[in-house]
Order: sequence, then structure tokens, then C-alpha cells
Amino acid sequence: MQEADLVKKIQELKKIKPRKDWVVLTKSQILGPPTTFREVSFWNIFSPKKWWGVQYKPAFATLIIVGVLVGAFGFAQNSLPGNFLYSLKKITEKSQAVFVSETERSNFQLGLVNKRLEELNKIAETNQVENLAPALNEFQANISQAAKEIIKSKEINVKEIVQQTEKLKENKQKIEALGVVIGESEELDNALSQLVGREIKDLKNRTLTEDQEKLLAEAKEDFEAGNFNEALEKIWLLSNQP
Amino acid sequence: MSYYYMANPRKLFSKIYDQYINKIYRFIFLKVNSQEIAQDLTSETFLKGWEAFKKSQNPGINNQEIENPSAFLYKIARNLVIDHYREKGKTQIVSAEYVSITDPRTNLEEEAMLSSDFNAIRGALNNIRDEYQTVVIWHYLDSLSISEIAKMLGKSEGAIRVQLHRALKALKNELK
Repeated sequence: MQEADLVKKIQELKKIKPRKDWVVLTKSQILGPPTTFREVSFWNIFSPKKWWGVQYKPAFATLIIVGVLVGAFGFAQNSLPGNFLYSLKKITEKSQAVFVSETERSNFQLGLVNKRLEELNKIAETNQVENLAPALNEFQANISQAAKEIIKSKEINVKEIVQQTEKLKENKQKIEALGVVIGESEELDNALSQLVGREIKDLKNRTLTEDQEKLLAEAKEDFEAGNFNEALEKIWLLSNQP
Repeated sequence: MSYYYMANPRKLFSKIYDQYINKIYRFIFLKVNSQEIAQDLTSETFLKGWEAFKKSQNPGINNQEIENPSAFLYKIARNLVIDHYREKGKTQIVSAEYVSITDPRTNLEEEAMLSSDFNAIRGALNNIRDEYQTVVIWHYLDSLSISEIAKMLGKSEGAIRVQLHRALKALKNELK
């Protein structure tokens, strides 16, 4: 064997790489939560101590405060978990949640889960390893919240739940294709299982046409096989048949 | 004073981590042949590295500056591997065919790794002497120059050239 061939074979070993999620978690365990230079500078600039001695006219000061707040909240909408402005984004979402009707609450929470997945996707694509661990935590927290809302809600918009869960599936696949393992969402599956069970039970007590009976039977099969998305889709089709 | 002390140490070490994590992991993995042990020793390497890096910001009597992070991390990694085998009381030899390379959740890229060439070279590298393994990994996988390796091992460049030559010969014999 020639030396060049041997070297080529040795270089095959470059394929040995650690798992991406382990790399991210280890980094956050070693370095702890990020306290970047940028954050320190922000507080240095806006610290009340620094501005204490400066005499602003009240109107001008109010204008500045409003401007800074509007700007910060607006800018925060593009922030990612682990960023300084991310907490403002969460505050905005929480305030929006207060005004959502009960029927839409589950969809709203599922929408937030999808938002978290889009953030994860952005992080994975741009290789911002520092933000990956907080993003995974945010995702898990939102999944939990969505599952609770689905179980709690008495009225539900099945069509939108189907759309959101389909989108969730697609987003999850996209992220996993980038090498980030986000794990199973048992809590959500459990909630969807309860929702489908409830809907099937409700439909059994109704008078159905032959086609509707057929769809209900298919939905039951999907439910028993653990395919809750498909079962929900059939329940929605069934409810929309004349 | 090197440039490493001029900015935020966390940010700088974060960059060092991103730059060397794959190399240090691979270096340790090829020596211990276990994903779990490689992960533990790699984490420990970077933890020790980070502790030393923080101390080195205030170079006093006992704190030395870290001029070359790569050499520094490899030195910690090598010592940890030596300690690991010392603790075990013997050199662990595990057949390369039975060792998981990365996460069990394999994807296409990872499956491509399991080619026969890949396994053959891993097995061969595993069977040659430790000092030969080290120079082969550093020179041919991590692209360290002969002079860098010589400095890291405290030997002359000539001695490293001879060692590399013997290492390749040993590998060829293993692959026959």
C-alpha cells in the first residue's frame, strides 16, 4: 500500500464526531449561562445611576422611555432563546394569551410550540450552539403548556388543531434533519389522545350518516394505533360532512 | 500578553471550545474506544481548560498564560487518558467492530462511516503503540505540523519524523 493511500484511509477517521446535542449541553454546563459583553454594556448605558444627575425635561424623558420600550419590544420579536431581549418576547406572548378566547387557547399554545420550533431551526441553521439548550427548554415548556390547554379546553377548533399539529410534525422533521434531537413529546401525545377519545365518545352519541359512520370507524382505528393527528383529521372531515 | 486576555474570557473560551471540541473528542475517542468515556473525558478536558483559562487572566506568580490553547487542551486530554488507563490498571483493547462510533440514532452520514475501510483503519490504529497513535492523529487528522508536535511532546523534529515513519509502517503491517 502506498503512503498516500494510507494517509487517505487515516483521514477517513475525521468522520468521527461527537453528538451535536451533547456538544451544546456540555458547553452550557462548563461555561454556565451566557453573560455577554453586550449585555453588560446595555446595563451600563441605561443604568439609572449613570443618568441620575442629568436633568431631562419630563416630556422629553417620557418620549425617550416610550421610544426605548417600543423599540425593545419590537426588536425582541426577532430574538432567540438565550438572547437578552428574549424575555420581552415572552412577555408579549403572555399578554397576547390573556386576550385569546377559550376555543382558540389550545391553537394559540400550539402556535407558540411551532414558533419555538422555528427558533430552534434558525439556531441550528446558523449554528448558534449557545442558544440551543435554552431553546430546547423553551420548547419543552411550551409543549407542556399546550398539552395542559388541550386537556382543559371544553370547546376546541379541531380544524386548526389539525393544521397546527401537522405543521409541528413538519417543523420537527426539519430540525431533526439538521442533527438536533428534540426527543419525544409524550405530554402532547397524551393530551391529543384525551382529546380524540373525548371527540369519539361524543360522536358515538350522535346520529350519523353511513359515510360519517365509516369515517368514525377509521378515526377509531387511528386512535387505537396511536395516530392521533390522523384520527383528528377524520373527526374534522366527519363533522364537516353534510 | 497574548490576545486571549484582551476580551471577554467566556466569549474567547467559547470560541476555543467550538474550534477544538471535535478534535479533542476524536483524539480521546480513538484512544479509549468508548463513546461514553470519550464524552466524560472530553467534558473534563474542557472544564479543566476553562478553569485554567479563567485563572490565566490574572497572571500572577502561580498563574501562567496560555499561549497555545490547542497544545494546552491536548496536554490535558492526554493526561486524562493516561489517568483513565492507570485507574483501570491495564490498557483497554476493544475491537473496533463492536464499538459504537457516535449516537445510536444513526443517520445516513453516520452509516457511511461504517465502511470496511473505516473500520479497518480504526482497528489498525487501535493496535499500534500509544505514542504512534498520538503522532498519527495529530499530524494526519488534526493537521498539526511536525514542529508543533515536537514542541508538545518535548522532542526534536527529527525524532517526530522518525516516529511518524515508524507509525505508518506499523499501520501498514496491521492492515496487511
